[in-house]
Amino acid sequence: MTTTTAPTALALSGVSKTYGSIAALSNVSVTFEAGAIHALVGENGAGKSTLGKIMLGVETPDTGALSWDGKDVRFNSPAQANRLGLVGISQELSLMLDRSVLDNLSIGRETCIGPFVDHGATLQQAQQVMDQFDMPLDMRTMVGDLPVADQQRVEILRALNQDANLIVFDEPTARLESSEARKLMLILRRLAEQGKAIVFISHFLEEVLSVADTITILRNGEHVRTCPAAEETRSSLVEGMTGAADQGQFPALPPVDPAASPLLVVRGASRKGQFENIDLTVRPGEIVGLSGLVGAGRSELAHAIYGASTLDEGEIAIGGEALHGHSVRDAVRRGMALVPESRRAQGLFMTRSIRENISLPYLDRFMSWLGLRFNQERERVTHFGESTSLKYGDLADPVSTLSGGNQQKVLFARAALGEPRLLIADEPTRGVDVGAKRGIYDLIVGLAERGLGVLLISSEIEEILGLSHRVLVLSRGQVTAELTGVDINENAVMAAAFGAN
Amino acid sequence: MMNFALLFRNYGILLVTIGLFIVLALTADGFATERNLRNILDQQSMVIIAAAFMTIAIISGNFDVSVSAIFVTAPLFGLKVENMTGNVLLAVVAAIAVGLIMGAINGFIVTRLKINSFIGTLATSFMFFGAGFLISSRSLMRPESDAYRLIARSRFLGLTSATWIAIGVVIIATILLSRTRFGRNVFAVGGNMEAARLAGVAVNRVQTTAFLLLGAAAALAGVLNSSRSISAQPSDDFSFVFAVLTAVIVGGTSIAGGQGAIWRTTTAAFFLAFLNNGFNLLQIDPIWQRLIEGAVIIMAVAVDTWTKNRRA
Repeated sequence: MTTTTAPTALALSGVSKTYGSIAALSNVSVTFEAGAIHALVGENGAGKSTLGKIMLGVETPDTGALSWDGKDVRFNSPAQANRLGLVGISQELSLMLDRSVLDNLSIGRETCIGPFVDHGATLQQAQQVMDQFDMPLDMRTMVGDLPVADQQRVEILRALNQDANLIVFDEPTARLESSEARKLMLILRRLAEQGKAIVFISHFLEEVLSVADTITILRNGEHVRTCPAAEETRSSLVEGMTGAADQGQFPALPPVDPAASPLLVVRGASRKGQFENIDLTVRPGEIVGLSGLVGAGRSELAHAIYGASTLDEGEIAIGGEALHGHSVRDAVRRGMALVPESRRAQGLFMTRSIRENISLPYLDRFMSWLGLRFNQERERVTHFGESTSLKYGDLADPVSTLSGGNQQKVLFARAALGEPRLLIADEPTRGVDVGAKRGIYDLIVGLAERGLGVLLISSEIEEILGLSHRVLVLSRGQVTAELTGVDINENAVMAAAFGAN
Repeated sequence: MMNFALLFRNYGILLVTIGLFIVLALTADGFATERNLRNILDQQSMVIIAAAFMTIAIISGNFDVSVSAIFVTAPLFGLKVENMTGNVLLAVVAAIAVGLIMGAINGFIVTRLKINSFIGTLATSFMFFGAGFLISSRSLMRPESDAYRLIARSRFLGLTSATWIAIGVVIIATILLSRTRFGRNVFAVGGNMEAARLAGVAVNRVQTTAFLLLGAAAALAGVLNSSRSISAQPSDDFSFVFAVLTAVIVGGTSIAGGQGAIWRTTTAAFFLAFLNNGFNLLQIDPIWQRLIEGAVIIMAVAVDTWTKNRRA
């Protein structure tokens, strides 16, 4: 092992990256110092992870330059960044669960004699790293048998079992208990003291303020500011991350009949490790916003309501009828519709036609003994395509030919075709152009006006503020606030989202 | 943007098959004769019957290797019934029922036990082959009544009944895939299983049904085969499923599921049959035939992968 002792720093200047028509990063310049912890904060989609990926060569920037230790560098692959000692520890751990701790630590870095692995030397080196950073683990344990916090240590040790000079931690505490998270903070501090540059991406502002030396705030892909952590406070960070709320981008909300009996009632819903003791009601014509951070259990709750996963405890009733052991088919039959979080992974059949994508859950309505009645199907699909202002060339075109916003409208057209009573919209504008967002907001409000109950899940706080009659905030699987009317404001939502524990 | 690659993917097999037909018609004596072409139709009928439903199973996201074993074993059971009762119709019904049961077993193993379809149906293959040896007491079986040979060898408008049955099966499978809810669900499940589940599609039921239908089709093909040779013999010969899979894959059905068409599988079956027949007529060493068949499969899959990468 050769260790570079010179003070090293990674500098990014004028870095931009767009995905399709979405600017994930625009013209960002940041410098990362050796021996310091540099935190990146911002709302979901602000560009934090993209920045981390660019540093590690996972993504290449469209414009801008990187320099390492004063020399210009360009990474075309993660391997190139790796050779300079730039490594990452992602939220999703990438470990071999069926192999031992030692195997995971030494994969690709075995000490060899000719073609043979020198087991003793390999073990010794791994042990040395473990001792040096004081993270003792049994080398022979299968990684899959370890708790998540220890698995994370394995991942960190793996990064250290080579010449790591800069380590990017992307949301490392999202899956940890708070006591484990505190231990991780100590590890970060120690690594920095040993001269590594640490990049810490996190949603948890207390953690950031307690451990970071420098904080960079990103908003919508833009660099807001970089300041010493000592100059920031919780509220200054929140303000920097969210900016001024843009007024007028949302349609007016229709009034809700307060006397109407609730359409959806959820009582004491729990699912182990995902959410706990949730009470929730949605009335006809009401849009209920479900806010919280990624991983707070919002989508998991939505899936359970929709019958896509089961509840461990609690009950769900729609229109006064209790649902027992219900399935997605049952939910669809009883008038629920879901616009899922990831349209690519959970919603659309990319190579199939627009028509097939829209009508799929409701084909039974077009059945006759001669097979599907194509004309009737085409007529209904066209009708709901128009009602959602979907723009397309031909209904037979594959969905993959549409823009992100129009793909999202396909999912809304699908939901509308079912003429549901309750719509669950999970991140309805994710990956959608700013311009197309208003169209989707109009759709949601339009559906509520027609008497649908809407459960809206969004990581974009403006969306929650602008579209909800009532807001429930989840944090680590629990409801930490229920806000109505004038109480719905950014600070209250953010405080509840970040505030639990 | 309809690019060349996509066009080739959709209609390439048709072009290539027509091209091969023309070349062979011009160069190989005895190829473009009515008798030869009728023979090809008759010989290919069994592969086409199984391949039509194999296409559906693969679009739904699953392989089925046990088609060979069902092809071998179901007619043995049919003949057993025929030998006991003398009733040919009952024999056919019994054989197809066995195919359905075997398909149901495959469906259960793959969708409920969550075993990879390739491995699961490889395992059931051995069981089904073994059942064949048990039913037949390890010996050749023959039908008692002469009527058994008529199942495949009757003639109508110059074509054998095996050919007519294959035509009927292809039409049924095509309608099933393109005009019914089941067909839509097959594409949905194979294309994006999670999205299908969230859209309320009964994923397991769709995949199991695909196995059931394929089991019945393989059994029917086996019955036709035994009728053509007026006998059936237990074996553990996997060659039938390879012929079936070759037709499906050369026909451009995506092995990842979600895409494919029965007319292309059928066309590919003829392409392979022409290739075979042409080489025989031209008296070219059969070894070359294998080399070329292998290359054709690689090309077909490469086109599939290539067009997919371009889209991504």
